[in-house]
Amino acid sequence: MRSVFGVLKGLVLPLVLLLLLELATRTVLVHSDTIVSPIVAMGTLFKMFRDGAIWRMTGFTLATSGLGLTLAAVLAVPSGIALGLSARAAAASFLTIEVLRPLPSIALAPLALIVFGFGLRMEVSIIAFACFWPILVLSQAAVRQVEPRLLEVGLALRFNAWDRAVKIILPSIVPRLFVALRLSVAIALVVAVTIEVAMNPNGMGYGLVSAQQTLDPASMMAWLIWIAVVGYLLNAMASALQRRIDRTVRVAP
Amino acid sequence: MTLSGLEGPRAAGLVRHGGSVIVLGAVLTLWWFASHFGWVSKVFLPTPEAAVGSLLSGMSSTGGLGEDTWLTVQRMLIGWLIASLLGVGIGAVVGMSRRARVYVQPMLEFIRPLPASAVMPFAISAFGLNPSMVLFVVAFGAVWPVMLATAHGMASVEPQLKEVAAAMELGKPAFIWKIGLPNAAPDILAGMRLSLTVALIVSIVGEMLASQAGLGRAVLLAARSFQSSELFAGVVLIGAIGFASNLCLAAAERRLVRWKTI
Amino acid sequence: MTPAPADPCIELQDVAITYGDRQVLSPTSFSVGSGEFVCIVGPSGCGKTTLLRAAAGLAKPSAGQVRRHGKPVMRPSLEIGFVFQDYSRALLPWRTVEGNINLALEAAKTPPGDRPRAVNRVLQTVGLVDDAQKFPSQLSGGMQQRVQIARCIAQRPEILMMDEPFGALDALTKHTLQDELARLTADTGLTVLFVTHDLEEAIYLGDRVIALRANPRPGRPSLARMIDVRLERPRDQLTTREDPRFLDLRRELFALIEQPDA
Repeated sequence: MRSVFGVLKGLVLPLVLLLLLELATRTVLVHSDTIVSPIVAMGTLFKMFRDGAIWRMTGFTLATSGLGLTLAAVLAVPSGIALGLSARAAAASFLTIEVLRPLPSIALAPLALIVFGFGLRMEVSIIAFACFWPILVLSQAAVRQVEPRLLEVGLALRFNAWDRAVKIILPSIVPRLFVALRLSVAIALVVAVTIEVAMNPNGMGYGLVSAQQTLDPASMMAWLIWIAVVGYLLNAMASALQRRIDRTVRVAP
Repeated sequence: MTLSGLEGPRAAGLVRHGGSVIVLGAVLTLWWFASHFGWVSKVFLPTPEAAVGSLLSGMSSTGGLGEDTWLTVQRMLIGWLIASLLGVGIGAVVGMSRRARVYVQPMLEFIRPLPASAVMPFAISAFGLNPSMVLFVVAFGAVWPVMLATAHGMASVEPQLKEVAAAMELGKPAFIWKIGLPNAAPDILAGMRLSLTVALIVSIVGEMLASQAGLGRAVLLAARSFQSSELFAGVVLIGAIGFASNLCLAAAERRLVRWKTI
Repeated sequence: MTPAPADPCIELQDVAITYGDRQVLSPTSFSVGSGEFVCIVGPSGCGKTTLLRAAAGLAKPSAGQVRRHGKPVMRPSLEIGFVFQDYSRALLPWRTVEGNINLALEAAKTPPGDRPRAVNRVLQTVGLVDDAQKFPSQLSGGMQQRVQIARCIAQRPEILMMDEPFGALDALTKHTLQDELARLTADTGLTVLFVTHDLEEAIYLGDRVIALRANPRPGRPSLARMIDVRLERPRDQLTTREDPRFLDLRRELFALIEQPDA
């Protein structure tokens, strides 16, 4: 819990830097194609809010992130649990996973491009690929870390496999799954914006790129601020959710 | 019934690894069938032989993939090294001083979620479409994981060790060099590993966006001309770079941080 | 009681320690002569550890002054070797035993060429020559504490200050290290200020024992008594501890410290 003073101190450096930037853009950098005064950038951002396109584009990025993340989770959580439960399955899939995992998702983006063309599906598929592996690995680890005593209790109570999974394993791994979620939210957003910057003419990343291509530094900065804010908020929400789950699960008897 | 010569734990290990190979083989076989029987169009899924063929011819002296690979690796490594030096330096200063952390940490937390690629349009605007621009963004993107890891590692020095250093009249620089940095070494190396991944990704993005020679551009061009086998060859090489660099760093980590696992 | 030494190595004058509005140690004065082995005993909360740290310059007393050879002690010094109770946190886990001792030599700016010999000498003194290349995590508690003592001796200090150094060890190891310490300090003529909660240890090791009380009040200062231990040296774990004079001292000190209204 940060005190009020802590928050204020944290704002000092950014405010000083912004002030310097403001001064610089009024003097030395007045004709820059790259940087404008932060005040002008904020003004541009508010204008963009009123114009409306920014909402559609932000929505696109959030949609692809959300769908990609969900797709990854739906596939990776059960798989991870299965790998965690069965040492044999884990060993058998080891090589395949180790070969596919290091592929940077951005490298596969051109493939998705020719399969799906520009648009939503292309981005969702790559985000899903990027988020699949961390969720898989963390789910597997979470299952391996379930308290062995609890599993023994399940056996002693003559639970079948389904009951054991639902009553003991699933509740035990929920906190770690939310950690994976938090991580994946960050990954999803970064991958989404990256694809939009590199090749997909939709979403926030494209807003940034098209502003640069039309030599509109004010819009470019506005987009950067907005992307940073959206990223920060999303991560903060995911963190808060994860902490809340942590507390709930710990507190429950 | 046991196969002669394969008994006990050795057999179990062999079976385990054998199983892994079999599964991978099954996946490759599936690929072979899918491409040969047209379950997936050859425009998207080349046959394994075609992909290998493109890879080999690309890597030969007449193909351009070798050159592309070298350029991408160069970009990645140089940007990563610059980022590591900067990151450790700044991170050490920030990590050492609690006061510095209070002022700097919130800003770092705000910058951390920002995709490095978002900086690329600014860099293009400022520097133009050239290799230095890409290098700049690579270094910029790769600096954060190392910096944050270093600051964290330095800040987590055992308080008792600070007293030990005080009792021995060790000055601040000596403390950072002999105690702070070695203590932070595991964190720093983990941060550097993350940075290397970022460096590779940003290199690829830079090559794609700014049309700079390298595997990123090669893969994008292959996609645009629907050359799926070339595309696959490029992707395999990118994956190989990621895999190999990670392997090397993990080995270095293990060597340098021997004392942690004893 | 022997008169205060003419040129005291360490002199405490009216040193008091206050936490908030609670006085933990009332103004206390005593001095330690060169070559003397002085033990400070007391129950928990009597401020003995903080007193030792103030004497070493690691903490500032709330009142009064610590002087070394007449000069006020404001900060730690290489002339004072400080042995911490928690040995595991006082050694650098990433350096070997030799490396840890080298830390002291580096702090003392010993020329690199002289270091191996100095390390060897010190390791021989504590009997750890064969373990020079081991990491602290590979050593038992007693051995780790020996390494810490060795490191302090490598500083070539004038006085050794020890904060319950054997408190976390089992009885057998404790007794062994007590005898080693006694022999070491007798051979080198080191001055020692030794804090412990173990009455018998204090009597066994010390030339003089300073007994402190917890919760000082007006009319009941922290310093309960200073007792000379006139038992011959070298002392023996069995015979000395059964000596009637030892038992008398033990009874006396026990009564002093335990009685709430002495």
